[in-house]
Amino acid sequence: MTAPEARAADAGAGACPVCGTPVYEGYAYCEKCGHTLGSPTCTSCGAAAVDAEGYCERCGLRQPTGRDHAEIVLEGGAAAVTDRGLRRSRNEDAVALLAAGRSTVAVVCDGVGSSPRADEASAVAVEAASAALIRGLSHEEAFELAGRAVTKLATSVHDAPASTYVAAVVRDGRISLAWAGDTRAYWLPAGLPDGGLLTVDDAIETGEITAWLGADAGDVRPHVRVFEPQGPGLLLVCSDGLWRYLDGHPLPAPGDPQALARELLRHALDSGGQDNITIALIPLGELP
Amino acid sequence: MSDQPTFTLTIDQNKYLPLDGREVHAILTVGATGGITTQAAGPAEAAEVIIVDTSGSMSGSKIREARQAAVTAVQTLRDGAYFAVIAGTDRATMVYPRGNPQLVKATPATKAEAHRAIDKLLAHGGTAIGEWLKLAGHLLTAHPSAIRHALLMTDGQNNERADVFGSVLAAWSGKFVVDCLGVGADWAPAELRRVAEAMLGTFDFVRDQGDLPEYFRRLTQTSMSKTVAELSLRVWVPQTARLKFVKQVSPVLLDLTGKRTDVNPLTGDYPTGSWGAEEREYHVCVEVPPGQIGQEIRAGWVKLVRPDTGDVLASGNVLAQWTDDLAQSTRINGKVAHYTGQAELHDLIQDGLSARAAGDVDTATARLAKAREIAVESGREDTARLLEKVVEVDPASGTARLRRNVDKADEIELDTGSVRTSRLRKEGS
Repeated sequence: MTAPEARAADAGAGACPVCGTPVYEGYAYCEKCGHTLGSPTCTSCGAAAVDAEGYCERCGLRQPTGRDHAEIVLEGGAAAVTDRGLRRSRNEDAVALLAAGRSTVAVVCDGVGSSPRADEASAVAVEAASAALIRGLSHEEAFELAGRAVTKLATSVHDAPASTYVAAVVRDGRISLAWAGDTRAYWLPAGLPDGGLLTVDDAIETGEITAWLGADAGDVRPHVRVFEPQGPGLLLVCSDGLWRYLDGHPLPAPGDPQALARELLRHALDSGGQDNITIALIPLGELP
Repeated sequence: MSDQPTFTLTIDQNKYLPLDGREVHAILTVGATGGITTQAAGPAEAAEVIIVDTSGSMSGSKIREARQAAVTAVQTLRDGAYFAVIAGTDRATMVYPRGNPQLVKATPATKAEAHRAIDKLLAHGGTAIGEWLKLAGHLLTAHPSAIRHALLMTDGQNNERADVFGSVLAAWSGKFVVDCLGVGADWAPAELRRVAEAMLGTFDFVRDQGDLPEYFRRLTQTSMSKTVAELSLRVWVPQTARLKFVKQVSPVLLDLTGKRTDVNPLTGDYPTGSWGAEEREYHVCVEVPPGQIGQEIRAGWVKLVRPDTGDVLASGNVLAQWTDDLAQSTRINGKVAHYTGQAELHDLIQDGLSARAAGDVDTATARLAKAREIAVESGREDTARLLEKVVEVDPASGTARLRRNVDKADEIELDTGSVRTSRLRKEGS
């Protein structure tokens, strides 16, 4: 404890989180350094010193934004999490998870890192596609709308934001999927051995993707597939930030979707967290 | 406030650091536009002291040129500005106004009286620059809200004890701005450099004394164009970081690091003097604690402030973000590289000239040859030309050799001119 902090403790009041000068209950700002008291707390150093621009006025850290880590949980139990990971400066993945009537919709898009404004590309794609699907439009129509939204971001083919795409609609125990690129869907069965990868990547051996959304994508059409599981389980929709760390591991056993989403995120981060990580899980049937 | 310029602050840097990266460099460009003083706009009050060396060494044609220069300076004063003229020997004497040591308002009448007083100046006595600055300081202190400036010319070496001179500079540093001119080949650049650094001014070599009036006119005019009395750079760094240096790098090099006034434990003010419509650049270096990949911090928060009112005129962020992408972290910002090179050039010239004076031929040759190379590369043709007169490089073998007979004036010009920097050339070349 530094001297000023010690004095503040003696006075029975707080200390300015920036300069340590004693401050009293109800003060709006520190008399010594002018710091606004009652600011949000820094996620790194713990000082109540985050300013309007999002930087901590004590340690300088830029605070994580909404997209750096976000979680969604729906009433029926479906859950999603998206995270910046450990190596990227921002999260260029985006996820939408919606339910209406008997349908649940999940869309995961991964902004192509080599394209400009990839974070915007994925964001507009999931918004356009999920809104279309929840209204009951077909996969092809939703994909078309998402593609147009991403294309509109480009100022030319040389400045064309791009994104991968996977969309899932779960209705009455039936899963329909559409995708382009290397975002994936897996079936995690609770009992029957019908689990595994449901999608096929649009990618060459070295990993470069061959289909995406964007002004430079050409006339791309989505793969579409319908899957009817034989028993209960979880549909997993995810970006490559997760699935690259699933190789060599048994498929995760289904469980509470939110708890499992967090567990899978932890696994990806512990394995290196090289890329942005996005995971959506939708339960089907009665899980044990 | 309508006569006040508008300030902008832009920051050039590469924010990406490698994983073990600890130093963040940024160039701050501070621009003041508009609000250029016109008589009608009611400019800020100006207070000017003109200091003329009248020591014995000034006798003959030099004192005649000095008188003419002082008269030119007086005539360049804006009507309504406050001014005085001081004669400097081993003490400081009021030339105009006579009697009470105070400034008078410039009018056609007072300017004419000053002209007559200056014409009577004779050269005799010693040189005590500290005494001259003390009197100038006392005169200017009576005008606290004015833009306070002194113009000092000398042809000789200061004859005061170094510690006495040093304490005068320390006492008056930041209280007013002093621009210095050295005339002839007998003065010591190091002494005027100390004055210019302490008093946030410039110093220059007047190679041909016939040019003295023109130098006086130009400096007075620049001083009259200032419209904001005193601004500071207020720099915040994180609690766990250390501000390594704050330097003005353009138009001349001026290390401000030691001039810090603490605002709070994380923030310090660095004086920049008075401002007109102009652009200056500053190099800031912050040592940051180790970070994690992807993490971004504000490594410096820079504000241009009026210290008297606390008004913030412009501000910007110096950022740092750690990455393992070498393509990002190894890219060097062009401006940072340019001014790092200009500062290195200055240091090489200073080291080289000192080594040469001390008879250390090897060091002098190495430093000056390297300086010549940087001067050529960075487009400093004048400096390269002067270095060429001091050191010769065999184009075939690359071997460098100090030249024997170097004109003293060339050496002084090289020495004094090394603080000037070139601007970064635009794309291309």
